[in-house]
Amino acid sequence: MGPLVRAELRKYLTTRMYWGMALAMFVTGALFAAITAAFIIYGSIDAGGNELDLEAVLPELTLARMVYTGGIQIGYLLALVIGVVAIGTEFRHKTATSTFLAAPRRSRVILAKAAALVLIAVGSGLFHVIGSLIGGGVLLGLNDLAVLPDAAQLGRTLLLALLVLALWALMGLGIGVLITNQVAALFVAVAVAWIVEPLLGWGLTFLDGGDAFARFFPSQATTATLDVFTGADEQVTRSMGGSGEQLPWWGAALTLVAYAGVMTVIGVWLTRRRDIA
Amino acid sequence: MAAMTTTGTQIEVRGLSKRFGDLVAVDALSFSVSPGRITGFLGPNGAGKTTTLRMLLGLVRPTSGEGLIGGARYADLPAPLTTVGAALEATSFHPGRSGRDHLRVLAATHRIPDQRVDDLLELVGIPAAARKRAGGYSMGMRQRLGLAVALLGDPQVLVLDEPANGLDPEGIRWLRGFLRRLAAEGKTILISSHLLTEVEQTVDDVVIIANGHLVRQGTIEELHGDPTTLVRTSRPEALVDTLRTAGLAGEVLAEHGPGAVRVLSDDLTRVGDLALEAGAPVHELRMLRTDLERLYFDLTESPENRNRNLDRPETREAS
Repeated sequence: MGPLVRAELRKYLTTRMYWGMALAMFVTGALFAAITAAFIIYGSIDAGGNELDLEAVLPELTLARMVYTGGIQIGYLLALVIGVVAIGTEFRHKTATSTFLAAPRRSRVILAKAAALVLIAVGSGLFHVIGSLIGGGVLLGLNDLAVLPDAAQLGRTLLLALLVLALWALMGLGIGVLITNQVAALFVAVAVAWIVEPLLGWGLTFLDGGDAFARFFPSQATTATLDVFTGADEQVTRSMGGSGEQLPWWGAALTLVAYAGVMTVIGVWLTRRRDIA
Repeated sequence: MAAMTTTGTQIEVRGLSKRFGDLVAVDALSFSVSPGRITGFLGPNGAGKTTTLRMLLGLVRPTSGEGLIGGARYADLPAPLTTVGAALEATSFHPGRSGRDHLRVLAATHRIPDQRVDDLLELVGIPAAARKRAGGYSMGMRQRLGLAVALLGDPQVLVLDEPANGLDPEGIRWLRGFLRRLAAEGKTILISSHLLTEVEQTVDDVVIIANGHLVRQGTIEELHGDPTTLVRTSRPEALVDTLRTAGLAGEVLAEHGPGAVRVLSDDLTRVGDLALEAGAPVHELRMLRTDLERLYFDLTESPENRNRNLDRPETREAS
């Protein structure tokens, strides 16, 4: 197993994608943390007719958490792309042939890819987290707000963010196996993650008990895993787009693990049966 | 291990079939490939060569039958690259990854050191170019890189799909010498081609298929047939008589023109001397070569072996 994971890591590190991705992770992390910070510090939201000054109503830990996870939606989208490409490029450039010639037990190749993706997502996720800390931290610091109000709690959130990125990468792997046309797979992955799934989640809120379903959706499970809205009162949460009823962080994390696990199993099953031409 | 090198590794294809929907790409194909020899796997485009090789290498699931390498299925080989080296497609490289890195990725799966990668690039003659991104490689470079991939694990068996495709004449000569050396080491070499003439001087054995069926298997000598000589004379019957007395089989062959006699011998001097003895004036005396290209076309293009891929729409309409 070890050699196959090593081969997969080498694959990732020998194209220009790895530093492009690291750079994108860093920049989007920094940018969206800064935007979130600016929104909270300088902006206000309309909640039930009266203007709420976010900076005043949010506890400082919640505020910092929101800032530092401000880019997570871009982050997990990038992780999703890494996952899709990990298998999609093998079909697109027909390297699947040499890959499966070197390792004819294909389930091991998919598992090696999954293991390598966890490492890759965590590695490039670190750039995202560091970017967020810099982009958000600077603005918080300049406005005399606590940069690290509770280092242990924030550290936990950021570690969970890395976990979330790894799980989204695995979901990407699943999509990439299902749809062997890389371009189509990327399109579907992005469209589902950013348009279909949020719209569906939003639509469900109009149905009785729809929230109960929607909170198991990947994007809402991600937010719940990161405890983003914990500490903010319900009115603020709702007006910032969070749904009322959320899963506990561990339940949400397990939900994402389940998605990633199911996708990986489907990936193994499909890849074993497929003809490589 | 010592036993392995003396006996070599045989490829055995047994009743292999592959059906894609209602198209039978490979139909109950059986043949074997011997070690220490270069075997040409021949057939026109669409005959099922690539599908057969992919089934042999575990990439495509056979509908029935099996392909064995040294008695084992490819997927059951513990470290496949050390048993079988394959170059199936000259284009299957990531354009953004260097050829050297492509090799290093595959080397990692078998814990093969980078030194071996560099040695191989030296061997196939692209040490410097292989450090550039593969997107800019010429077809010849891709073929050489593919060969390096195949040799990575120092395998006993080589399976090369159209290895001469895209090589310049110098490259083809180089490849021929290269494969000869490997065969002399006792390796089992199977190379596919859609042109017999392209590999005629390279291969020892041939396996010819058409439309997924085996149409001929044997040595290249068998394909050439017995060596024959053509004599043209004004007295063919007298010549045939004298030849018979001397123990040589000869026959008058109208299809080669008036007075043509075909003799089963490649000894032109002897045939000439016998003609003098018979008092038969010799108008022409030459070796009669089997036109392999024509033979190949006869074998693969006969009506029942015509490529069904090409006239599929027609048959659909008919049925």
